[in-house]
Parts: sequence; C-alpha cells; structure tokens
Amino acid sequence: MVSGWVLRGVVSAHLVAVFGQPVFAGVYLSGDFDGLRMHAVGADIVTSLGYLQVIAAVVVWVRLRQVWPFVASLGVVVAETVQYFAGQDGVLWLHLPLGVMTVAAVVVLFIAVWRQPVVRREVGHA
Amino acid sequence: MRERMSRRQVLGIGGALGVVALGGLSSAAALSRRPASTGAVLRSAVPLPPAFAVPLPIPSVLSGAEIEIVQREVTAEILPGVPTRLWTYGGTFPGPTIESHRGRAVTVAHRNELPVPTVVHLHGGRTPAESDGYPTDLVLPAGWGHMGHGMHDPRAVTSEVTRSYTFPLDQRATMLWYHDHRMDFTAPAIWRGLAGMHIVRDSAEESLGLPSGVRELPLMIADRAFAADGSLAYPSIDPTLQMQHGVQEPYIAGVLGDVILVNGAPWPVHEVDAARYRLRILNASNARHYDLEAVLDDGRRLDLVQIGADQGLLRAPVIHRNLPIAPAERYDVILDFGQVPLGSRVRIVNRLGSGRTRDVMAFSVVRKAADSSRIPEVLSDDLPEWQRSEAVRVRDFSFRAGQMGDGHGWLIGGQAFAPDRTDVTTRLGDVEIWRLVADVHHPVHLHLVGFRVLSRGGRAPLPHDAGLKDTVSLRPGESAEIITRFDGYRGRYLFHCHNAEHEDMGMMANLEIT
Repeated sequence: MVSGWVLRGVVSAHLVAVFGQPVFAGVYLSGDFDGLRMHAVGADIVTSLGYLQVIAAVVVWVRLRQVWPFVASLGVVVAETVQYFAGQDGVLWLHLPLGVMTVAAVVVLFIAVWRQPVVRREVGHA
Repeated sequence: MRERMSRRQVLGIGGALGVVALGGLSSAAALSRRPASTGAVLRSAVPLPPAFAVPLPIPSVLSGAEIEIVQREVTAEILPGVPTRLWTYGGTFPGPTIESHRGRAVTVAHRNELPVPTVVHLHGGRTPAESDGYPTDLVLPAGWGHMGHGMHDPRAVTSEVTRSYTFPLDQRATMLWYHDHRMDFTAPAIWRGLAGMHIVRDSAEESLGLPSGVRELPLMIADRAFAADGSLAYPSIDPTLQMQHGVQEPYIAGVLGDVILVNGAPWPVHEVDAARYRLRILNASNARHYDLEAVLDDGRRLDLVQIGADQGLLRAPVIHRNLPIAPAERYDVILDFGQVPLGSRVRIVNRLGSGRTRDVMAFSVVRKAADSSRIPEVLSDDLPEWQRSEAVRVRDFSFRAGQMGDGHGWLIGGQAFAPDRTDVTTRLGDVEIWRLVADVHHPVHLHLVGFRVLSRGGRAPLPHDAGLKDTVSLRPGESAEIITRFDGYRGRYLFHCHNAEHEDMGMMANLEIT
C-alpha cells in the first residue's frame, strides 16, 4: 500500500518538474540567459525524479504485483535520458518533439497511477 | 470501483501512442536539416564548371597612406566562358587587398560610380565613428538627386560621389575586410561583389618566422548563384536595389548559393610547395556557414593549426581537425603541405555542405622546397585579460525572428533596427559582459571592439573560440557570454547579426559610446 502511495507522490513531483522545462526553455529563448541554467537544473531534477520513479515502480511491482508502472516509467526514463543528451548537444530536431512526447507520457502516467486503486493484485490474476 | 481496462485495450492504446511517437520522431528526423542550417539555397541556371580546375586568383595589393578606390560596375568571367556583371571595388571581385601597418593611418578615398548609394565599413577596424561606415552615411552616386535613401536619420552624414575614410589602425595585427554597409541593402551589395580584404601587420608578428610571401594566402570564401544570363542571381524584391529592400519570402532566413567561390573563382585549385602555408581565411558569404577540413585523396586529414582569430594572433597555436567558420569570421591557419607526399592533392571541404557545396578548393603539392618557417609555441603576449569582476554591466540580448512592420523580420531584444534609436549607451573605457541568445544561427558582430568568448551554451568556450574575436557564431538555441572593453573612440557604432539578410531585415542595433 505504502509503495503505491510513494509512486503516486514521485509521479506527481515528476509531473510538476517536467512542466517547468518548456517554461524555462521559453524564458531562455526570450533572451533571458538565466533561463538556460534553469532549464539545465530542471533537466537534472526531472531525470533524477525519473530514476526515483523507476525504483518506486520496481517496489510496486514486487509488493503489489503490478508491472505496468515499471514498464511505463522505464520508457519515460529512457526518453528523458536521450532528451538530456540531445539538449546538451543542441540536437534540436530531436530535443523538441521528444520533449513534447515526454511531457505527454508523464501526464498519461500521472492519470494512470491516480486512477488505479492502490491494491495488491491477487496472485494468478495478473 | 471503476472498471479496469482490458489487456487488449491497454495494448491497443499503448501501441497507437507508440506508433504516433515513432512517426513524430522519424518525421522530425526526415524533415529537419541535419546538421542545422539557416537560409535557403538558390540554384544556378547555368552549367557549373568542374571542381579544382580554375586557378586560385590572388587579389592585387594596395598599400600606402593614401589609397583611392573607384566603385564601379564591370563584366567579369567568374565561371569559365560566362560573362557576369559585378559591382566592384576597383574593378575586381574581391576588391584589392589593402596592406597596412599597425598605427600607421590609411586614408581610403572611395568614388561611387555605381547606380546606387554605398557606404564602406572596415569590418574589425578600430575606427573613429565618422569613418566607420554607418549605414546611413551614404555616398550618393552622381544624379541620385531627390531619390530617397533609406530610413530617416537626422545624424546621417551623406556625401556626393566621393568620400574619404580614415583608418588609424591603432590595433592588433590581423586580417580585416571591407564591404558595403548600406542601410537595408548590405546583403545584395556584398553579393554583387562589394567586398575586399585588408591586412594589418606589425613588427612583432613579422619577427615570428611564420610562412610569408607567396606562402601566405588571403582566402575569401563566398557562395553565389548564377542566373541563366550569367548574372549573379539574388532574390531581391526590388532588383534595381533602389527603393524597396528585402528578399522574397522563402529566402528571409538567408540566401545560400550553390557555387563556392574562393577569391572570386569557383572551387579553385592552387599549386603549392611541400612546405607550410599561412592561410588567412575569411567567410564573406551572406549566410552560409562552413566547417572546414583539409583532406587528402586517401582520406587522411591534415591538421589545421590555428594561429589567429578575427582580431589577431592567439597566445598559442590551437590544433583543429575541422574548423567551423560563420559569415564574417576569420581564421589565421597554418597548413603543412610538407607532411604529404609530392603530387598529393589536399582538398578543403565543408562538412556542413552537401553535393557540390561540400567542396571548397584544393591545393596541389607540386614542388619540393626548403622551408625555414616555424610556428612558435608562444605567438603573442598582448591579449587583453578582462576579468568578470571588472565588468560594470551585464546585458542580455535575444536574437530571434519576429514581426517587423507588416512582414517577417529579425529582431534584437524584440526590436527591429531604427537608426534614430539608441539601444545601448556605454562609457568609453567600461568593461561589459554581454549575454547573447539565439533562436537560429546568428553570427553576432560588434563594431569598434574585439571581445573574448567567456562561455558558450552555459559551458566552457569551444576550441575555436580562442583569442580575440569581433564576431561570435551562435548556433540554433545557443547562447554565449562575451566580455569586452569599449575603448578607442566615442560615437555611434553598431552591433548586428552578420547573416547579411538578417542584418538588412532589422537585426541591427545602435551602440553609443559616450
């Protein structure tokens, strides 16, 4: 039970952090130099939360016998890692669409973890 | 409790999202320019000559304290057998190379025999404002009379037919270049041929033992396109360049040609000794960026040993495998042809080009020769050492696309250029840090001063940012911090994007030094 609530908490924090990224990118491109630093710090926070989320999802998998949060979180973390390096290397053709997709994925995941009841699935039913 | 989705639904929805995501990313990969480039290519309508067939021309040299140049229209053969009308300094493209010495003033009297007003700017020159070639300080051709000449500017000093520019050249030895800077029409004027090189020397540099004489080559790289009648094609809205400025909509990000000229010759070849050569490279293209490398026919690459930047010698040489160069940037580079077998061909290629724009020029190593030149480990010790703590001001500027009047334009800090608006005021002698942010490629140039690049994209500068520069190339989404001291002269100067099309469409601002 606790593990499910932890996952909900981490996913919620992840959602808030990931929404900051386009905001900071916009601030930067408006000509505010500090926007880039905020976007870079934001990227560190977002990816860190992503890895925490994978850990929380593993616990949910073990304790609650629900594997989908792990699979989805792993997908998001892979995307965010690619995103991180695409941003650092200025590969904007990849960075922009992947960024939009990552935000969309975190939103879907947020809805899913809050919609699903935090219960242990009966063995053999999964 | 809500109903759970079936496994089938989960897989269906998940699969659909996956397909959409993959489709989005692969279309981004397919449709995007990789590597990124800013501008649109204009295709030539005449057959193009093979690469490495035309010999490299070396512009004639002018020197002395008093120089006269007549700006006139000529017909020249750029592509073999194709006559092309050009606007020139002194009848050739590039114009004559001016050779000068640090601290010895040169006065250049320009006579305008072209059909439009002109104004000459010495790029990188530490020049008093009245000779800096402000865009509205126009030299009107004979008979221009009542015709308009650009935006209203009460401070403009216009003259008729002739004007003398005085360059004190109290600055580090380096290669500068001079070009037209007419309000709203700089890009088409440079495109038609109004550009030349200007070398400043000093005794310290001469004592280093760098390659010199015929082993020092000024190289002006510029792309052009040719119309069916042999003229230089350019997508001006008003081809007479008299009234309406600007280019046709598809080219507002910049005009790229499909022919690469070096010193006015298409993909030239130059025969060299098996020895070190000093290449003084200028990118005089309106919008094209290059990433140069020297490649032998067997695929081996020669080191590009950079010894100087826009504003003169580095402290120590920097070795590059490839060297990115944006419009208006210069690099002083040593290539050692003594390292390659006699009879080899060394091609200079542009890694950012595709098809024929990948080739730039070639060197044929034809003669064995003695070489007494050297590349000292310490090249100079007079580079300014401005510290962050000395800066009295930090300014932020965004360089981006925006609305200008009724159409698209290019803005600095959200504003299009207006001659009568002072954008930046600073005191003579003040050290400032400028933080520049770009949306697409913007080579940012400051008049009067050289600067040092402090950081790029929030991280350390790149190897080619070394030394003292007057133009810094920002790539899409990139930023840079630069530091400089505004010294030399008081008066009204400019800073602007040196993508010449951007410059003509608003991306300039006034810098008042008081």
